[in-house]
Amino acid sequence: MEERKASKRCGGVFPFIIGFLATCVLGWAVIPGLFFQKEEQPVWFSHAVHVDGQGMDCESCHYFRDDGTYAGFPTNEVCAECHAVDPEEAQAAIAEEGIDPNDYDAIMKAGIGAIEDNLASSDEDKMQAEREYVVKYLIQGKEVPWLNYQYQPDNVYFSHASHKSLSIEDLASLKKELSDVVDPSVFEGEAPEQNCNLCHLKDIQTNDVPPALERNVLSGYSKTTMKMWKCERCHALKGQPNACYTCHK
Amino acid sequence: MSVARRTFIQLGAGATVGILFTPTVWKALDDVSIWTQNWPWIPKLKYGAVENKPTVSKMCESGCAVKVRTVAGEPFGTMGNEDNPISGGGICPLCANGVQVKNSPNRIKAPMLNGEEITWEKAQEVVAEKLAAAGSKVAVISGDQTGTANEVFSALLADKGSDAFYVMPCDMQAADKAWTGLMGGSGQIGYDLEGADLVLLAGADALESWGPTVANLKSFAANESGKFIFAGPMQTKTASVTSEWVPVPAEGMAAFTLGIAYYVLQAGKSVDTGDFGQFKAMVMSEYTPAKVEAATGVKADRMAAVAKQLLTASNPVVVPAGPVAAHGAAFALNLLLGGAMKALPEFAKAIPTAMSRSEMLKADILDGVDTDLLFVYEANPAYALPEKVKAGFTVAFDMVQTETTATANLVLPSLHPYERFDDLASPYGLAAATYSLGAPVCKPAVDASSAATFILGLADLGFASFEEVLGAKVEAIGADMDALQGGEAYVVEGEAPMAASLAANVLGKAAVPVKGTGAVGLVPYTLLNVGTANQATTPNAPCTISNNQLLGDYMVVMMGSATAKQLGVSVGSKVKLSGGKGECEALVQIFEGVMPGVVAAPLGLGHTVGDEFSKGKGDNVYKILTVSSEAAAGASTWAGSTVNVAKI
Repeated sequence: MEERKASKRCGGVFPFIIGFLATCVLGWAVIPGLFFQKEEQPVWFSHAVHVDGQGMDCESCHYFRDDGTYAGFPTNEVCAECHAVDPEEAQAAIAEEGIDPNDYDAIMKAGIGAIEDNLASSDEDKMQAEREYVVKYLIQGKEVPWLNYQYQPDNVYFSHASHKSLSIEDLASLKKELSDVVDPSVFEGEAPEQNCNLCHLKDIQTNDVPPALERNVLSGYSKTTMKMWKCERCHALKGQPNACYTCHK
Repeated sequence: MSVARRTFIQLGAGATVGILFTPTVWKALDDVSIWTQNWPWIPKLKYGAVENKPTVSKMCESGCAVKVRTVAGEPFGTMGNEDNPISGGGICPLCANGVQVKNSPNRIKAPMLNGEEITWEKAQEVVAEKLAAAGSKVAVISGDQTGTANEVFSALLADKGSDAFYVMPCDMQAADKAWTGLMGGSGQIGYDLEGADLVLLAGADALESWGPTVANLKSFAANESGKFIFAGPMQTKTASVTSEWVPVPAEGMAAFTLGIAYYVLQAGKSVDTGDFGQFKAMVMSEYTPAKVEAATGVKADRMAAVAKQLLTASNPVVVPAGPVAAHGAAFALNLLLGGAMKALPEFAKAIPTAMSRSEMLKADILDGVDTDLLFVYEANPAYALPEKVKAGFTVAFDMVQTETTATANLVLPSLHPYERFDDLASPYGLAAATYSLGAPVCKPAVDASSAATFILGLADLGFASFEEVLGAKVEAIGADMDALQGGEAYVVEGEAPMAASLAANVLGKAAVPVKGTGAVGLVPYTLLNVGTANQATTPNAPCTISNNQLLGDYMVVMMGSATAKQLGVSVGSKVKLSGGKGECEALVQIFEGVMPGVVAAPLGLGHTVGDEFSKGKGDNVYKILTVSSEAAAGASTWAGSTVNVAKI
């Protein structure tokens, strides 16, 4: 009897409400964050150093090839146009020093002239990032496995060429309708010459420290990988076809 | 206790309902569903620059000048090279599958000595030892008709004092034996199919498997005003698009051609050769239309009609196929007509001690081969020759496992054409001498090596690598290396052919039809998608093989309804064909486009070694071919093969 009374005292909707509120808080504030793990870029790449410091523009690295395809990330071949370390000369110098060519730390510490004399940076921290790129990738003939914040699944055909004429200024009239698809701050201020901000991090060209990629632990995709409904929404608003074969070739 | 339990249940119910009001569950479900796109076994796309890299493909007999489509340096497709006259942007069914063959699990992955994997260094030691022991008893069988690799092999033979260089039986060989052997001509014969206003394809199924098929198709398409006539025992795909099909038995093609020559001579045509009078007398007496009709079954007025068309054309050409006699007769007729047959100059050699192409074509492999050490270069004699090739020790170079590599003592993996330096010098049939070059467009997929470079390591031939040989070749012919590597061809136009003789004596005897003793004639035919003597069907080609060639795992042979009635078979009958030294099983199909009294069977099926696309599919018709001697011409031929057909 005593126990039944106690039950009545502690019963009712109170525990239900406690449970309801607790998972609501967890489900909105805590759990979503657990779906993502942060991954750093393999090399510290500063857009600010290259764009502001060296006066490069976006197309210097992110360009359309002659066949109309988009090159995405620059290859070693492009980087080597400025980072003038000769891989063969560097490897020969490493061998001369008797250093294991796979021991990157030892190479970086050795202060090898064939590398050091050709570094373009002046600040020590930036020089170290450049040195890391040169030793780990350029002279090894390996491409940098850059993390793509926006990459799409293989079963999606996305053409940058088809989207390059979209104008942020023109799209501003659809600001409200696009509020779920595009970061509304993209439409604030004066519209930039290029429309990269529509999908990519706003003002990435001024970024000094590349943000970590947030990878979904279940799906494996980046947090900023565009979902299908976003593509469909924009296509619908712009009067473009939404048939499956438009994107799934 | 019960209080805590109830509270707990209420708390849990609240939590369950609460979580449904958050994005957690829905997001997790969404992510899990997206995760199913990424099963570990799903191939990942390679991203990078898409390029079209020019090179040459050697998978068909003539070779195709191609552009390999690559992404980030990895080939994924092949297309024709529009800058090269050999392909003009087209591609044959075999070379179209170059990438699939390059990546095939059937590729030989490392050197194998008697089934055991060895290193390339060990292979070099073994071959050097065998070569020293063999002395001059060393021979080469090459499946390459157009490559300078043949110069390297023949130079090795010359170094060892041997001239035993064999090519697999081909029309280029028969043409050379007729032209330079019997008629004293020089150069390589070619046919201007685009420039001719009348083309008589005398057995040459030029639009499906004869000669440079892709170039032939281009010429056919470009020659809108020209007329094409096909003569042969079967209405081939070529015949189906020509203006006229003249049914002529294969063994009677030479007689048929001389029967046409009768009318041409009657019209007063002549050639300035010493034996013209003798030739004319021979044709006018031995190959009168009545006699040819009796020997071949082709009506005299049919021959007269063809002859009339040839005589009224301003630039006619006769394109032969088959035995030496058929080639000789066609060349004589072309000389009489003075039309679009050309003589192509041979390109200068890179290796002075190597044989000329004509010299390489002289040895007759159908006579049999018996040697101490045999090199087989990208050929498959164990599959495609009815006679046994005997060798004390066989070294086979090939990309993929074949019947020959399965029986060879030492198997050395060749680089795929996309992985190596190679060239295409004047494929047989083209009207101009053309030279094309190929350089690697990707890294080797297996531990393969250049066969020619391996051979250069066995003797001092003046070059360390095949790449160097090709450099010397390009220099010798006076071509521009950069243009060649850019996919362009070096072209030297063919000239009017000049012969010393019409080989009256030989042709008079060799053109007489000789048929085997079997119940019906056998017409073996080649389709590139089915395969050739050296190359089995390729991974994407089986879906293009029709039910008239292969049904399930059974080969299909075709015959007219009269022949079927004579043999007591009908559509779908399972039959055994016996001929030569073997037997084949097949299903019967009725096709009235096959001459009465003959059965048509596709070559290239029935492999016992190979991949899932070729092994055990159909039967091997090479087993039932009969080698007969063209005694007068000093050659061997398969024309005139007959078979007995029994229902099973």
